Amino acid sequence: MSRWLAEALAVAAKDLRAEFRTRVALNSLVLFALTTLAAVSYTIGPYRLSTEDRPFLLSVLLWIVIFFAALAGLDRSFVKEEESHTAPLLRLAAAPTVVWAGKLLYNLVLIMVLMALLVPLFCVLMGFEIAMPWRFAAVLAAGGFGLAVTTTIIAAIIAQALTRGALFSVLSLPLLLPLLIFLIQGTTAVATGDLDTYRESLRAILSMTGAMTIFSAFLFPVVWRD
Amino acid sequence: MNRVGMTLKWFLFVWMAGVIWAAFLWIPSAQGFKGESSRIVFFHVPTAWVATLAFLVSCIASGLYLWRREPKYDFAAAVSAGLGLLYAVLATVTGAVFAKIMWGAYWNWDPRQTSITILLLIYAAYLALRSAVDDPEKRATLAAVYSILAFVTVPFLMFIVPRIYFSLHPDVMTNADPDNSLDSAHLRVLLASLAGFTGLSVWLYSIGTRIEEIRHRRRQEVL
Repeated sequence: MSRWLAEALAVAAKDLRAEFRTRVALNSLVLFALTTLAAVSYTIGPYRLSTEDRPFLLSVLLWIVIFFAALAGLDRSFVKEEESHTAPLLRLAAAPTVVWAGKLLYNLVLIMVLMALLVPLFCVLMGFEIAMPWRFAAVLAAGGFGLAVTTTIIAAIIAQALTRGALFSVLSLPLLLPLLIFLIQGTTAVATGDLDTYRESLRAILSMTGAMTIFSAFLFPVVWRD
Repeated sequence: MNRVGMTLKWFLFVWMAGVIWAAFLWIPSAQGFKGESSRIVFFHVPTAWVATLAFLVSCIASGLYLWRREPKYDFAAAVSAGLGLLYAVLATVTGAVFAKIMWGAYWNWDPRQTSITILLLIYAAYLALRSAVDDPEKRATLAAVYSILAFVTVPFLMFIVPRIYFSLHPDVMTNADPDNSLDSAHLRVLLASLAGFTGLSVWLYSIGTRIEEIRHRRRQEVL
């Protein structure tokens, strides 16, 4: 088990090191998010929304920015391996589940970096006040994990296909939309301080993410084995 | 096959004609609905049912393909996903027509409408993925994996989203409201229609898989 974990960490570390040399994925994630945030902030700003609409509409905007930024950058994890022809070597060097866990970790780090930059900026620029900050962090963490799990397996699928860029969004969005619905609901609840709805939506997010994690762990070796 | 098949097709023709006659002419319009709008239920519910059934078949066939690696399971998954998409479109359109008459708007993102939209997106994405991979074996594997992943989200769409958000749509699985239940004549026509639509889709399915098998054989001959 510890050996498996060490190997998965090594795969993630390899990807992160390669990523920080070029910063292709991180740049596209963060710049996409900042551009969208600038557009949203410029057109709406902190005063345009009426007080009772604010928590819901701001949650919607926040998650739309995060989701589309994620779709803009997270397909790199596997496409990069295929494009630089390093995938066969990785297949020889590590067991499929190790590769899956490593790539998942890598995507998770990217998403967390994105959120750490974007969410405080969003709250400041849009005047988004959160009644329960720690629970907000829990919703963000659960949502980030759900996003990372789903995009990892989809990225593995599209790396084998011919038209990669467009297909990633097309395949990811239907799987992510239910998650998006629950995340928006949970974020609205933590903004207004509605504890019951928060619990309900966090349960839905976690059970959905859990199901997705188990299924992708089982299905990934099938996709990865050529 | 041929004689039995022909008999079954004629039987299906007569049966469906009977269902259409009963739905429009024989049964009186139900109480509590505007005008003749209740009659659409005899077509809306069966199409939604066949769409769900086709998606289930597609998912099971995908699982079987990953297990056995036989092309026939891949054909089954692809054909039923296509059929499921067709029937889901029909269910969406009939539902929207009913919503316009009863509730005033074709579309208002009712949870049921949201979930069927996501289902449509999932299976459109499934077919897009199939068209983006050239190698038949790779295509079958990737599509099977996606189909199973997509099916993971279905219970959340069917059962949890409509519970959290208020829905105008009558409850699908359990109908607790006695005023809302169907009387026996309506139920009989509805069940007959369900059987007819299921038969029709089995026929379409067998045509689709036969076409796929012929294509597969042709490819083998060329290679």
